Amino acid sequence: MGKPQRITLKEAGALINDGNMLTFSGFTIWRRPMALIYELVRQGKKGLHLFEVNGGTHTEVLAGAGAINIWESCWVGHELYGKLGEGVARAQCENTIIIEDYSHAQVVARLLAGAYGLPFFPTALSMGTDILNPQYDMLKKAGLRDGSNPKIPMQKYTMADDPFYAMGEILLMPAANPDWAIVYASQVGDEGTIRVNAQTYTDAEVIKAADKVIVLAEEIVPDSYLRSEPEKNIAPGYAVNYVVELPWAAHPTGSQGYYDVDADFIRNFYAASKTKAGYDKWAEEWIFGVDGHDEYLAKLGITNLEKLRANKVLGYSTRAKRGSR
Amino acid sequence: MAASNDLAKPGEYKPIDLLAVAAAREVNDGDIVFAGTGLPMLAIMLAQQASAPNAVCIYEAGSIDGRPIDLPTSVGDARCAHQASVAAGLTEAFYGQLHSGYVDLAFLGGAEIDKYGNVNTTVVGDYCSPEKRFTGSGGNPDINALARRTVFIMVQEKRRFKENVDYITSPGWRLPKWPSGEMVHKKEVYGKFFRGGVEAVITNMGVFRFDDEGLMYLDTVHPGFTAEQVKENCGFDLNISRVSGETKPPSYYELELLYTKVDPEGIFLP
Repeated sequence: MGKPQRITLKEAGALINDGNMLTFSGFTIWRRPMALIYELVRQGKKGLHLFEVNGGTHTEVLAGAGAINIWESCWVGHELYGKLGEGVARAQCENTIIIEDYSHAQVVARLLAGAYGLPFFPTALSMGTDILNPQYDMLKKAGLRDGSNPKIPMQKYTMADDPFYAMGEILLMPAANPDWAIVYASQVGDEGTIRVNAQTYTDAEVIKAADKVIVLAEEIVPDSYLRSEPEKNIAPGYAVNYVVELPWAAHPTGSQGYYDVDADFIRNFYAASKTKAGYDKWAEEWIFGVDGHDEYLAKLGITNLEKLRANKVLGYSTRAKRGSR
Repeated sequence: MAASNDLAKPGEYKPIDLLAVAAAREVNDGDIVFAGTGLPMLAIMLAQQASAPNAVCIYEAGSIDGRPIDLPTSVGDARCAHQASVAAGLTEAFYGQLHSGYVDLAFLGGAEIDKYGNVNTTVVGDYCSPEKRFTGSGGNPDINALARRTVFIMVQEKRRFKENVDYITSPGWRLPKWPSGEMVHKKEVYGKFFRGGVEAVITNMGVFRFDDEGLMYLDTVHPGFTAEQVKENCGFDLNISRVSGETKPPSYYELELLYTKVDPEGIFLP
């Protein structure tokens, strides 16, 4: 394994093949690897299989582009800045996407098993819900639980009796091991050590669960700096395959300690995403209309970006207007 | 000078204010609260300032007992982790705190609810070809599954209070036991993992609770409404025989806290 390889954003995009199973860092509208999401759309990727702890603006950018074939997750939206995931919802209602719904902690269970090299993980969470209704196993309905795809388990879940303390029935959730984890991290050492700030979400788990890992680094710093406080780091360099250094790579999602969520940008995207035509027009302007990340940032403009920049003490912006007062 | 504990009169507060205040009053001092985004956040932060200073809050993105000085807009927000006891991730929140048994109170929202307290946040219509998709479950059913008590905070409309929800996202008192799908009490589904369930539903019209059978009844009616009006705004035959009185309106002190300390920027409160 050794040290991760430094590559460009375009090279990172080219590594992802149509049909690959992807997972991501972050949580809803925080620490999402947006720059590479845009690049995947720019490169015309199709048939992607997303397995993610929850969806967000990044999911909707891919859904609007018709890039997703299978979406396994539990939630999609833009939090306060867009209450639904319009692209995913439209695709589900039009039957152009296969959705497998779980609860949040059930997705975490699948990632934990995948991360720790276990075939399954037990959980008593969200039993007795329609998530477990056998009629709603959409991958099975699509004939994809026949074992031919090594990334799709032969059952959505099973129930088992606790054989040790007679606790009764508990859910067993199968491991998830996506082809790729696409991660945004605040700081990456020059030997690949990974650090994120504040909540860690499932970032460490997706890195371990995926076969290969691409990290977009807000900044690359000396590994010796990160190693002086190893308890703050979430992964060693040998767990990472590729690194792209790219400031503001999570925009419009937020990055604790660096910048806040760009609320207006997400509101505008959400409004556009309500129709196919609206999405296409938005994508023409913000994805296809720019040659890459530098042009995207130039188009956003320094005045806008500076409003989002995090207060160095608090870790979030105190200048972005958030509410009605 | 701080505002008084006198109760505000009709017209001096908005429906959303009473929603937040009534929810905050469900928090016991010392409760470990696992809260969702939106009104639940307002309610727990108000409770901590008004009546339950020793209550603590967990958010599923991984902040354990944070002390935000600015209202978070979502549970993943950097603000949630301010002065947290532990800033971790979902594994810690769902398994280290919730599954392990620390959580007293789940504070959650929902799009639709049925008479047994089953909540739908997934789809309208047949799941296999839905008319509309909501956000999906998120952590709602997890938190609700293993907290000792759950309080749902919702908007009341006839179409949202249904005999049967189209999809059971989050478990109420009578649930399908899979694989057969037979409807049984929550205790039968959770067995030895059972810790409790939905205790109250708070809407813009009233406060609802559940009887021994797990059936919803109207407990108190908000000022300005009658029990009959609440029943009219309910899609199932609501039991209004147990109404204990009128919901206590917000005090001037609670309103001042809401607008000057909890949400001064006008994020959730208009």
